[in-house]
Amino acid sequence: MALIEFQTGLGQLLREQKSSDPLHGVNLDTNEKRYFETLRETAGFRFCASIQRSWCIGRAARSAYFTLSLLPDEERQALLNEWVDAGAGTRSFFDAEGESFLSFISERLTDPSHELSVCQFEQATLRASNGASFHASPDLTGLVNPERNLRRGKHAALVCLYVDPSLLLESMQTRKPLPPLSSEPIVLMFSPGLPQLCNAPSEEEIAVWEALDAPASVGTILSLNVSPKTLAGLLRQGTIEYAD
Amino acid sequence: MVAFVEVTPETICRQRGTGTTTEIEILPDLMELAQQTCGGLPMVIHGVELSIGSAHSWNDAYLRMLDSFQKSWPFVWHSEHLGFQTISGDDGATLEVGVPLPMPPTKEAAALVASRSDAILRRYGVPFLLENPAHYFSDLPTDPEIEGDIGLLHSITEGSGCRLLLDLHNLYCNAINHNFDPFKAIDRMPLDMVIEIHVAGGSWRDGFWMDAHDGRVPERVWEMLDYALPKVPHVAGVVFELLEEHAVGLGPEAIADELKHGWKIWNAHRAA
Repeated sequence: MALIEFQTGLGQLLREQKSSDPLHGVNLDTNEKRYFETLRETAGFRFCASIQRSWCIGRAARSAYFTLSLLPDEERQALLNEWVDAGAGTRSFFDAEGESFLSFISERLTDPSHELSVCQFEQATLRASNGASFHASPDLTGLVNPERNLRRGKHAALVCLYVDPSLLLESMQTRKPLPPLSSEPIVLMFSPGLPQLCNAPSEEEIAVWEALDAPASVGTILSLNVSPKTLAGLLRQGTIEYAD
Repeated sequence: MVAFVEVTPETICRQRGTGTTTEIEILPDLMELAQQTCGGLPMVIHGVELSIGSAHSWNDAYLRMLDSFQKSWPFVWHSEHLGFQTISGDDGATLEVGVPLPMPPTKEAAALVASRSDAILRRYGVPFLLENPAHYFSDLPTDPEIEGDIGLLHSITEGSGCRLLLDLHNLYCNAINHNFDPFKAIDRMPLDMVIEIHVAGGSWRDGFWMDAHDGRVPERVWEMLDYALPKVPHVAGVVFELLEEHAVGLGPEAIADELKHGWKIWNAHRAA
């Protein structure tokens, strides 16, 4: 058997443990197919498959640690199983996959809820942190052109928490029930150029973020009574970026 | 008690992108912390992400990262695991399997790894070592000329300038799980090629002894070290491996005990 066929076959058998046709696309003759069918039934393969699955679950769990900590055991396990059954969790740099996993979880949480807020918080932290390692302040002179288009930064986010974060942390640590949702959310802005990755934004900054729900020109944003200084600050810290 | 440090560079890196556009970036603050922690001790690299045996391609992003790493923090030698952990997807993108897998003892596998080892030697200008892996498969495709896992190590080291990182715990795992005598296996190894030795702990799981790096070194592995050391004329160091998440549980006193145990055996054979 050629090396590439052996590796692809073994790799797919492990990656696609729930698939009815895990050897799809692998160029195997009858004897080689029989080899993999036999291999799959060995204790060694089954052990390796169980290790692979537990590592995939472990990686995914670490990438969404806080969010999963808030969920009941059954729900947490169901989310992890669904994610790994779809072939995810294999990447050794698990935070590269963390954003996708947190998106996957967020689609399944009630809006609004503490669980969703923490999920968005964790995702925003990961996103800003990923952006921070190569963030550089852009040329600000583009802001003098009112036709220049702006959009939300790829590594930025606005997150609403419906209770003091310390109470959320306490609930995670003690497994006590979560406090009720506050009617006055605490808003946090995440940007890769901020020293601590997030801060409490001003009303003007929130207005810019909301106005950029879709890309808009510098002129349009300034017409909302936003000061050029605020716009420059948001651009510098990566909360917003040029769209062209 | 520590004469040199072994660094896995991926632990201070972040990956960006997916599939064919992946980059592995060194995080400067973690690099600085690692250098401070190592306090000027000699340093060797022990990578996990190269996937030197992947037939479709090795991990170019890892090597680009290591190029940059070497410029910032030169290393005395460089080692990797003999195996593969990526395959090619239907669209040609690289897919990670999620666990490291062994190379089959075949001529094709030996030639591929030997040629890549030579390329690494030229690229970094320091010794390059391959580690014998632990694995749980009893029936890998084989060429009779290669003579199994140990024969594969001979073929690679004889076919290149590559040297060997003899992982005694991996050998111990395979000896238990595949039912052979680890001391006889040591005698069959290319011992002249050994530059470094690993010892570690493991644990039972589902009827297999697992290379878990989760605790103390089994007494039998210490005996294997005592047996192997007089037979490896070029060995330059022994490393006790323990995963970060198990270090706190094991505790500093137990870790110090393991290091002392290793030194005692080392000194008995190498002090002169």
